[in-house]
Amino acid sequence: MNDVVNSTVRAAGVNIKDLRKSYGSNEVLKGISLTVEPGQVVCLIGPSGSGKSTLLRCVNLLEQPNAGTINVGKFEATDPDVDLNKMRQSVGMVFQHFNLFPHLSVLDNCTISQMKVLKRSRSEASEVARHNLERVGLGHLADRFPDQLSGGQQQRVAIARALSMDPQLMLFDEPTSALDPETVGDVLAVMRKLAQEGMTMLVVTHEMGFAREVADRVVFMDAGVVVEEGPAENVISAPTQPRTKEFLRRVLDPTHIGVEEA
Amino acid sequence: MAMTARQRAKVSLYVQAGIFVVVLATVILAVDWKTIGTSVFNFAKIGPMFPDIFLVGLKNTLIYTALAFVVGLSGGLLLALMKLSTFPLYRWLATGYIEFFRGVPALLVFIAFGYGVPLAFGVQWDVNIVVMVSLGMVASAYIAETLRAGLQAVPKGQMEAARSLGMPQWRAMVSIVIPQAFKIVLPPLTNEIILLTKDSSLIYVLGLTASQYELTKFGRDGISSLGAGLTPLLVAGAFYLVITIPLSLLARKFESRSARTKR
Repeated sequence: MNDVVNSTVRAAGVNIKDLRKSYGSNEVLKGISLTVEPGQVVCLIGPSGSGKSTLLRCVNLLEQPNAGTINVGKFEATDPDVDLNKMRQSVGMVFQHFNLFPHLSVLDNCTISQMKVLKRSRSEASEVARHNLERVGLGHLADRFPDQLSGGQQQRVAIARALSMDPQLMLFDEPTSALDPETVGDVLAVMRKLAQEGMTMLVVTHEMGFAREVADRVVFMDAGVVVEEGPAENVISAPTQPRTKEFLRRVLDPTHIGVEEA
Repeated sequence: MAMTARQRAKVSLYVQAGIFVVVLATVILAVDWKTIGTSVFNFAKIGPMFPDIFLVGLKNTLIYTALAFVVGLSGGLLLALMKLSTFPLYRWLATGYIEFFRGVPALLVFIAFGYGVPLAFGVQWDVNIVVMVSLGMVASAYIAETLRAGLQAVPKGQMEAARSLGMPQWRAMVSIVIPQAFKIVLPPLTNEIILLTKDSSLIYVLGLTASQYELTKFGRDGISSLGAGLTPLLVAGAFYLVITIPLSLLARKFESRSARTKR
């Protein structure tokens, strides 16, 4: 019980080697290699369709890769004999569209998997859930239902739900892309806190400010390959590759595009 | 002389109402009220039908419908899951079953299970069992399609979120997808119960004892025993409405509720 309430994390690393994924004849990941050390925060950036979400979804096998290996902590995800459910228990996933369970209250969203998968008692699961709802600043909304919350609140509940399984790694798939601008900050603040507590995080994001501030490393992907990677200040502030420069110029100064393309 | 659009619409409405009144009047004048009063709907003959129409007819109709619905719902859920299975054999079996039992008249299924199967296997079946099997099997074919549509209407992200939390496929189905699917199919499922209620009348092809009569059989029996023309059958018909109209209202309530909670 103690190690649950204690907010320090046992973090796991990720090791991806030469990962390939195709949909039919369309190869979306063309041999990606990527390492995330335990406790590190790595942000994946790049234009839409570059394969970054697919890469993230391969890590917990929501997408089945065609070739290559993925290691998550002590699990080899790409081993056909891996206990997938066991592995996923240690990998928290946060989706762009939250995917909260609409038929369950906020508290039950956070307890159901603890009870059904980890076989925790209702009281223990509730205690863990309430603790994690406090962590994301929503302890007072435990009895609400998802459709009574704002997008930003829903996303923070989704983070609390994932944390309630005591993950050693968190995957974020564009967690702020579906949010109203004024609620983005709350979600990013929770993620920043999580990073400071030593959680391993792999984050697909378009929030360059967050990446620059929080990420240990930034990986720029385009057309299924890693184009450039390194410390945030290098990749975002002083990119060397032309494709990275072009992407960042468009993202950081969107008003520029209209003028140029007109 | 030309009329505005609004005037034209008004005239058209009056014409339609006029046609309706003329048709109604023709029917009322053409009908032989005397014969109706004696042998089609004779108020004096309604009294003797009570209280048995409640205690036997209505009760048995409700029992047969409930039995068939329980079988139909569990069978339908199984078939729906089979139809969505990744294993082709399950899909083919379910598709074959559904196409067969939706395609043949329920009456023939009743005869097959009421007479054919007991003969073939030398067993004596209780009426309740025959109803459960025959009506339940037909119902499960229809309900399966309804449930499959409901299961597919639950967003894919729900399954992904559940699996990401370490739930096995079956657990995600039971705890996350199926409860949401049921909410979606509640209105069409209520309609299935209405259809079942009426189909339970097909049991008349079986040899029943008086205490096993459901509404339709009870009414038909009344025709000969009371000598009241069609009266008992019409009263029995009205009793079906006692069951089906509240169900319709319930379905409508579910519909408006799920419409309101939709984001």
